[in-house]
Amino acid sequence: MKFLCVPCDEPMKLASAAPPERGSLSVVYACPKCSHSIAMLTNPYETQLVSSLGVRISPAGTGAAASGDLSKCPFGDMVQEMRAEGTPEAVLWTAEARLRLDRIPEFVRPMARAGIERFAKDNGFARVDEEVLDKAKDFFGM
Amino acid sequence: MKSYYDIAGDGGSDIAGQVAAQRARITRNLEGIRHRVAIGSGKGGVGKSTLTTHIAMALRAAGREVAVLDADLNGPTQARLTGLTDVTLVPGAGGMALPRSASGVGVVSLGSFVPESDAVDFDSVASGESHVWRAAREFALLGDLLERVEWGRRDYLLIDLPPGAERTLQYAEFLGEGVAFVLVTVPSDLSRGVVARSVAALRKTPNRSLGYVENMKGYYCERCDEIKPLFPEAGAVDLDVRCLGAVPFDPALARSCDRGEPLPPDSSLPVARALAAVAAAVERSMEDPR
Repeated sequence: MKFLCVPCDEPMKLASAAPPERGSLSVVYACPKCSHSIAMLTNPYETQLVSSLGVRISPAGTGAAASGDLSKCPFGDMVQEMRAEGTPEAVLWTAEARLRLDRIPEFVRPMARAGIERFAKDNGFARVDEEVLDKAKDFFGM
Repeated sequence: MKSYYDIAGDGGSDIAGQVAAQRARITRNLEGIRHRVAIGSGKGGVGKSTLTTHIAMALRAAGREVAVLDADLNGPTQARLTGLTDVTLVPGAGGMALPRSASGVGVVSLGSFVPESDAVDFDSVASGESHVWRAAREFALLGDLLERVEWGRRDYLLIDLPPGAERTLQYAEFLGEGVAFVLVTVPSDLSRGVVARSVAALRKTPNRSLGYVENMKGYYCERCDEIKPLFPEAGAVDLDVRCLGAVPFDPALARSCDRGEPLPPDSSLPVARALAAVAAAVERSMEDPR
């Protein structure tokens, strides 16, 4: 979808996108020529459709995501329950290990984290680093 | 006044660009895979998943590096079939490490992550009307798996598809033209009619149809040690693709699948020999030029 400022005949630019409120996304576009701005307010079905593509809506370069959170872990509630029953307590992750965690599919991260923390605890590791992850990989025959 | 096509870009959200970038990342992540084969049908309950598992095992036994992606997100069965219902997921250097079955086949199945007692559901800000967005969400999830799993160097990636002739077409478009298709039917004209629709749907794509497998072609009677008829003779519906083999029904196979211990390819049972022959036919087809 593109927006055109009719008086200026100028394409409008995405200025900001607010996180969804009750399923409605507020995306502001502004005309770079006359500064006139408009807001696109989506209904929940439109919001869901866009977020289902797994994309983020944010002005270029800001990294702020308005719809990204909507497409996260489909099993989030279940994983939260698993953590609450809570075998693993908080274990420190090094920046490198966390980077690896961020590279796996988003919806399995909570499960992977819980499993690795359990592995670390069972094997006496106080923190999770890349070496622990490699040991886990060997241990589980991957 | 400018039209849509007079305006370059989309004002900053770059949604189309993000989708294209993900497709490029998927392509890069699958570069180490030599052959990609989707096992589909159109018809449900014809044994796609069982065949996928056993083709994978037979290829593995022949020394190939094999992985299976269970693309049936709503009815994942590969985890149970391969004994991987409870796996610990490990972040590797290049994505999620590939869980391996006892036979050494890499398997990614939602059944390893979600207990069979739970529905595969997605959070949604929209109440009801999930038919509007659910397919898009499922393909995004599948894209995430293709992009962020350490598939590594493999001779084969087998993709176990969900039922539905229209789904066969959707998956062909999503997976791209480099994926060849094997279709599974049972020997009834009812089933062959549905599979014929998938064959027709695939003709609209550049994807290659390797052929079809006739599953449950008779049943193996252990007491008589012979294959007996299971369905009435069928064949009125011409599938117009090559037959890659026929596999009899055998209760021993069903039992082993339920236990998560697929039949070993070197089993002397007729069903195991038939499955190995299908795997060999698939491999010959993939090695043959078009």
